[in-house]
Amino acid sequence: MGFFTTLTQWLGMGKKQVNICVVGLDNSGKTTILNQLKSPETRVSTVVPTVGLTVTNFSSPFINFNAFDMSGQSKYRNLWESYYSSSEGVMFVVDSADRLRMSVARDELWLLLDHKDLANRKIPLLVLANKMDEKDALSSAEISTSLGLDLIRGRPWHIACTCALTGAGLTAALEWLSTNIKTYLDEHAS
Amino acid sequence: MKRDKKDEEAGGNIYANLDKTSVIQETRAFNETPINIPKCRGVLTKLLYLRLQEESIGRAEATRAFFAITKLWQTKDVTIRCLIYLAIKELSTASDDVIIATQSLMKDMTGREDLYRARAIRALCKIIDAGMLQTIERYMKQAIVDRNGSVSSAALVSSNHMMRQSAEIVRRWANEVQEAVSSDNQMVQYHALGLLYKIRSNDRLAVNKLVQKFSKSGLRSPYAVCYLIRIATKLLEEDDQADSALFQFIDTCLRHKSEMVVYEAASAIVSLPNTTPKELAPAISVLQLFCSSPKPSVRFAAVRTLNKVASKHPQSVTSCNVDLEKLITDPNRSIATLAITTLLKTGAESSVERLMKQISGFVSEISDEFKIVVVEAIRSLIARYPRKHTVMMPFLTNMLRNDGGFDYKKAIVETVIAIVEENPDARVAGLAQLCEFIEDCEHPSLATRVLHLLGREAPKTPNPQSYIRFVYNRVILECTQVRAAAVTALAKFGAQVAELRPSIEVLLRRCLLDSDDEVRDRATFYLYMLQQSSQIINNFILDQLQVSPIGLEKSLGAYVEEKKFDKPFDMRVVPIAAQPITHTEKPKPKLADPEDLKPKAPKKPEHSERLGALPQLAQLGPLFHSSSNIPLNDSVSEYTVQMIKHTFTNHIVLQFDCRNTVEDQRLVEVAVVLEEQGDEPEWQITDRIDIDALPYGETRSAYLVLEYPDSGAVVGQFECSLKFKVKDVDPKTGEPESDDTYDDQYVLEEVDIGVSDSVQPLVRQHFNAGWEKLEGAAEIDQTFALSSVSTLEEAIKKVSELLGVAACERSDLVPEGKSNHQALLAGVFRGGHEVLVKAKAAIDPTDGTINMNIVIRSDDDGVADVLGSALN
Repeated sequence: MGFFTTLTQWLGMGKKQVNICVVGLDNSGKTTILNQLKSPETRVSTVVPTVGLTVTNFSSPFINFNAFDMSGQSKYRNLWESYYSSSEGVMFVVDSADRLRMSVARDELWLLLDHKDLANRKIPLLVLANKMDEKDALSSAEISTSLGLDLIRGRPWHIACTCALTGAGLTAALEWLSTNIKTYLDEHAS
Repeated sequence: MKRDKKDEEAGGNIYANLDKTSVIQETRAFNETPINIPKCRGVLTKLLYLRLQEESIGRAEATRAFFAITKLWQTKDVTIRCLIYLAIKELSTASDDVIIATQSLMKDMTGREDLYRARAIRALCKIIDAGMLQTIERYMKQAIVDRNGSVSSAALVSSNHMMRQSAEIVRRWANEVQEAVSSDNQMVQYHALGLLYKIRSNDRLAVNKLVQKFSKSGLRSPYAVCYLIRIATKLLEEDDQADSALFQFIDTCLRHKSEMVVYEAASAIVSLPNTTPKELAPAISVLQLFCSSPKPSVRFAAVRTLNKVASKHPQSVTSCNVDLEKLITDPNRSIATLAITTLLKTGAESSVERLMKQISGFVSEISDEFKIVVVEAIRSLIARYPRKHTVMMPFLTNMLRNDGGFDYKKAIVETVIAIVEENPDARVAGLAQLCEFIEDCEHPSLATRVLHLLGREAPKTPNPQSYIRFVYNRVILECTQVRAAAVTALAKFGAQVAELRPSIEVLLRRCLLDSDDEVRDRATFYLYMLQQSSQIINNFILDQLQVSPIGLEKSLGAYVEEKKFDKPFDMRVVPIAAQPITHTEKPKPKLADPEDLKPKAPKKPEHSERLGALPQLAQLGPLFHSSSNIPLNDSVSEYTVQMIKHTFTNHIVLQFDCRNTVEDQRLVEVAVVLEEQGDEPEWQITDRIDIDALPYGETRSAYLVLEYPDSGAVVGQFECSLKFKVKDVDPKTGEPESDDTYDDQYVLEEVDIGVSDSVQPLVRQHFNAGWEKLEGAAEIDQTFALSSVSTLEEAIKKVSELLGVAACERSDLVPEGKSNHQALLAGVFRGGHEVLVKAKAAIDPTDGTINMNIVIRSDDDGVADVLGSALN
């Protein structure tokens, strides 16, 4: 990490501001994850199904994130694509216990990866296997296979097991995302 | 940059030369990270400016812009956020998928920032649809009772807007709204009352209760009190037997401490129909006080209201004359004009000249709108003091000569026409003035009206040939429309004045060379007609066709379809429509409801179209006459029923418009039951159409077809009742609670079929010609002594109503102070039989009784008899 700090200071940049797009099927826990990522005083106590989208701000040590929290309900999924072009990272949230709709999630993920606004941009993809605390949850390897993540070419991706209620696994996953976004931005700045 | 500076120096609008495409392009700035706040602010402002200029933005472009705007939520900048709300509201109709912003707005609406909450509510309610409304229902209820006034007001006003699309859901918030009415905030109280009224407005009883409750509890906000006064006024206007407490409430408001409330109460009392001078007096004295207020707006309001009352109750306003005199010299010209015109309406004959002099001093300085007010005052003045036309005419001439808009000129021309028609003494002067006016008139519609009038009135003057020059000048100089009208006017001169006929024929022959075929056609037609006998001239030039154009078109179409060309087309089957001479405009009610409870009487073509659509009624032939709406019960009862009588050649159709106002009932199998009174029932119901189902709040029609009896009777009296089955329904969903029904009956008022239903009034231009034609035809001569009426005018009105005939040649106006009068009445009986009536009435100066001699002529013996018997 020390290397990056020196690098940013050397390049004369402060804390970077980036947009990420948070998508995934309904009831996978997107809004809850973002709620968990916010500073404790700005959290809300109850989370209701999102209609449309919300914009949330949170920060990691090096980056300030603007997250477009998209609604996962089927009628709003076609609205996701409007936000791809302005994102520097994609967070795809999966409900690990929802075996039934894993194939739906796979379809949505590949629609996303093949979209014209994303296909040619090598922005990082972070898959969060949420709800890992549930007893019949799939492991991250199983999810990786069923989503076909090993078929992704030319794009940094990572899968992490998380639990949005406790926040377990989130910090590490976010660290990976910040690092990779940073790399992506540095490559494109030069 | 350089250009911008120039614009600023010129003080011009920097947004004036915005290009739509480039602004849409610039919305890409919203996608940038990090956001350039000043730039985005500028772009949003430009976008809003474009929308407010009603610039149309394509759907795809608007959607793209809308999505870009949603990305701006990431900034914490207050101005940007407020601009977002505005932009969302403006784009809500132009863009797709506006629902995307819902969650973000909901977050702001329930957030801590008061600055955002009210605006977010307003924006949210713009984009939400009925389905989503339920999800925010909880938040809306909270917002309505919020402690912050602006939030509460925003929620109330938005709910008011949403009443239009999802009234059911908003109705569920009545409790919260009621709580908001008792808020300390003036605006909240006003908005809450407005919404509460809207929620209850379908239920008259509830509205009544609402007014009573709040009139006693004493609302704090003057706006709310004003609104309450308006509701009370509306209740009073709709119902003659309304609670006197309502009036008392308005009356007490005259002593309210807020000026606004006092004015509202006064103007409400003044606008009410059927007020006695005693009831008016306190309101007038309040207005009188306002006349000397230091605030110009209050003076203006008071004098404007007084001006309106003056035409209805001139006596009551006379007490304010002293104050009004002072206002004549008011520095505000609008106030001065209104004061003078009010005085003209109320003042004595002697002061007229002085006032006219005063007004002509500054008439050139006031706007057209007020000039029209002046003209109208003059018109009513002339109606009252016919002898003063010598003063008014030159004044009107002056006004006509000056510049002015179409409405203003129209008002003057109408006034002059009215004078010419009503006052034979002023005819020559008025016509001369109008002739001069059309010499230089830029409005073809006014010129044609004047030419029409000239054709009708000028031949009756002692010197008709002097007008021909003016008319013929029009043929040479004007546009097609006016030329054609001038040709018709010329023909009328020729038809009425035999000496002039040869010269008119010469002129018409010249018109045959006109460049327009309409003008040539008319000239050819009239030229031929003028060479025929006087009978034909009368029929085709002086008396125009009095049929409805739509009806004529339909009948001709049917004739061509039938292809029986061996028998000629019968003109008598065409429905008749008398052209009304003057239109009277009714003032609109102050609280206009989105759904008007009293449907306006549809015009005749609409009736005939509606009836024609029903297969059972289609074979009855063309519609002859439709009566106006007759209410058969109280308009506040559970079910309201109104009747319209449609007369056909051999049948009469009774249309019953039924409306169900009971929320938890659905009526099925609704039938109207008629029972004829008298010993020998003659009428037979040949067909009926019942209402299958009548849900709450809807108006549907049942029909009964009655055949006119063979005996030739045209009158009948029936007892009438409504028979139906009631199904209880859940008022919220409108779904029936069970399949059980029970029978019920509802007694209505009696139904009368009278002679007037068989007669269509007809205004004939030349009564005597027709009268002479029927010389020797069936005639009935009867004399009566009338005791129930006290004036000649009333007597003539009664007779014409009874017989269903209309007065011709303005003979219904009885000159003041005359003890006898002859009225010329005309109509057409079912089947196309002409009916002409001469009614001579004389008043006995000693005991005030009225004797009336009525002569009825018709081309059919039976018809004359029927009408004669109706008089008994």
